[in-house]
Amino acid sequence: MIPLLILCPLILLAALGAVWKARPVHAALLLALALSLIAVLYLALGGGFIGLVQFMVYVGGIAILIVFSLLITRPGDEGEEVARRPKSVALGAACVVPVLGALLYTFGKGLPEPAEGAAPSVPLEKLGDQLFTTGLPAVLAVAVLLTAVLIGAAMFARDFGKNSEPPADS
Amino acid sequence: MNPLAVLLTLSALLFALGLLGVLTRRNAILILVGIELMLNAANLNFIAFWRYGPPEAALTGPTMVLFSIAIAAAEAAVGLAIILMVFRHTKSTDLNKLDSLRG
Repeated sequence: MIPLLILCPLILLAALGAVWKARPVHAALLLALALSLIAVLYLALGGGFIGLVQFMVYVGGIAILIVFSLLITRPGDEGEEVARRPKSVALGAACVVPVLGALLYTFGKGLPEPAEGAAPSVPLEKLGDQLFTTGLPAVLAVAVLLTAVLIGAAMFARDFGKNSEPPADS
Repeated sequence: MNPLAVLLTLSALLFALGLLGVLTRRNAILILVGIELMLNAANLNFIAFWRYGPPEAALTGPTMVLFSIAIAAAEAAVGLAIILMVFRHTKSTDLNKLDSLRG
C-alpha cells in the first residue's frame, strides 16, 4: 500500500506536466517519466513481466519515437499555448468533474473487498500457454496488424520524390 | 483504504488528464501524448482488477494488457508516420492549419 501511495501522486504530477507544459519536448519527456512510473507501479503490484514490457515498449519505444518526431518537426507557437490556459483549465474541470462523479457513485455502491495475501504472480509458462492456446486467434490478429503497420510506416517514411514537395502557396 | 479504490481513482484521473490533452492541444504529436495517457489509464484498470479482483480471473488482465500495449505501439507508429507525412506537405503539425479538406 505504501509504494502505491508514493507512486500515485508522482504519476499524476508527471501526467499533468505532460498535458500542461507549453514546450513540446518537456511534455514528451514528462510523458516518458509518467510511463516509467507506471511501469514501476506494475512491478510494485506484482506484475513483473508486464512492468518490463511496459518499460521496453512504452518508454523505450513510443516515448522515444515521440521525442524524435518532435525534434524533426517545427514546434508551434508556445505563446499561443500559454494564452489558451484559462480555457484549458475550464475544459479540464469539465473533464474531471464527470469522471470523479462517476467514480464517487461507484464507490458509493461499494467495491469488492480486495483479495488479501501476496500478489498473484504472472507465471510466464502459463501466460505463454494461454496466449498460444485460447488466445491464438488474437495473437495472429496482432501479428498481422503489426506486419501491416511495419509495411505502412515504411511506405509513409520513404521518399516520394516530387510528391513530397510542399504545395505552392496560392 | 481500499487499494483497488486508489488505483481506480488514479486511472480515472489519468484518463481525464489524457482527455484534457487531446481536447486542448493543437500540436498533433502532443495529442498523441494525451491518447497514450488514456491508453495507460485503461491498462491500469486491467492490472488493478487482476491484482485485487476475484482469483478466478487468473491471467486475463495481464493478457489483455499485453495485447493493448502491442496495439498501442502500432497506433503510435502509424500516427507518427502520418503526422510526419503531413508535416512534409504543410510544414506544420498544428491541427488548426490542416483545413484543406474543409468544404
